[in-house]
Amino acid sequence: MTPGEVQRAEEEVLNRARNGDREAFGDLVERYQDTVYTLAVRLVGPDLAADVAQEALLRAWRALPRFRGEAAFGTWLHRITVNTAWTLRKRARRHAADSLEGDLEDRGLRPERAGELAELRAGLGRALSALTPGQRAVVVLRDVYGWSNAETARELGITEVTAKVRLHRARLRLRTLLEGSR
Amino acid sequence: MRGPRCFLAAVFPGEGPASLARHRACCLHCQAAAARKRSLRRALSGLADEVLVAPPGLQLRVLSRLGDQDAADPRRPLVVRAAARYAAAAGLALATGLAFAAGLARRQPRALG
Repeated sequence: MTPGEVQRAEEEVLNRARNGDREAFGDLVERYQDTVYTLAVRLVGPDLAADVAQEALLRAWRALPRFRGEAAFGTWLHRITVNTAWTLRKRARRHAADSLEGDLEDRGLRPERAGELAELRAGLGRALSALTPGQRAVVVLRDVYGWSNAETARELGITEVTAKVRLHRARLRLRTLLEGSR
Repeated sequence: MRGPRCFLAAVFPGEGPASLARHRACCLHCQAAAARKRSLRRALSGLADEVLVAPPGLQLRVLSRLGDQDAADPRRPLVVRAAARYAAAAGLALATGLAFAAGLARRQPRALG
């Protein structure tokens, strides 16, 4: 299948799901559940991530008739995941003692990750888990997923200046944590 | 962080007045911080390639809980929260302004008397 054909096939599945076809939505869930779950783990940690992913996918289903295709479906789904994670942040705080590192190091990673790279990523995982939820969200969206400041601020319900200041503080803290762990 | 200019240069990279750009160009501290930031960003962007496998059964759980589609805005709770925050800030500013105006109004008759 060419990339164009893949895109057309996905659009067709999306259209069916938008019109209430549950089987088509099942195909979309199968395709996107790992990326949604990964983002959730990075935002709220492993304990709450499955709940966030589930709630985000359910919200996506309810909201699908609103989806106009202005952004890619994956991007739209990520925005819903961020919002859901933020909504459940209070629950995430109760789980603050749980570290993200286990998931970023071990659970479900592709097998070819090894050695130095794995060590660096494990260190990053530990450092990310030490940030406040607000700092972690900004740094994950900006530096891991490459969102713009404007998008990040909009999705987190904060101003762009707050997002920039928070990002700056998060990076400083990350650097300190990473240098301290060496 | 050496001073306010270094802070501003770090928080608003590539933005700000010409004086800030000049500061960036000649401050060794800012240049070193920018290099460290680039390296950190490179490392973090590498995490984007990693995809964790969703827990088994997630898809089934989602599909078993599908209700009706109602085209509800999935961002609504956050939008409502942000609106509430702005409304609270506006209310506080209004209350402060009114208290200030009332204080001034009370002071003026005394000054005249």
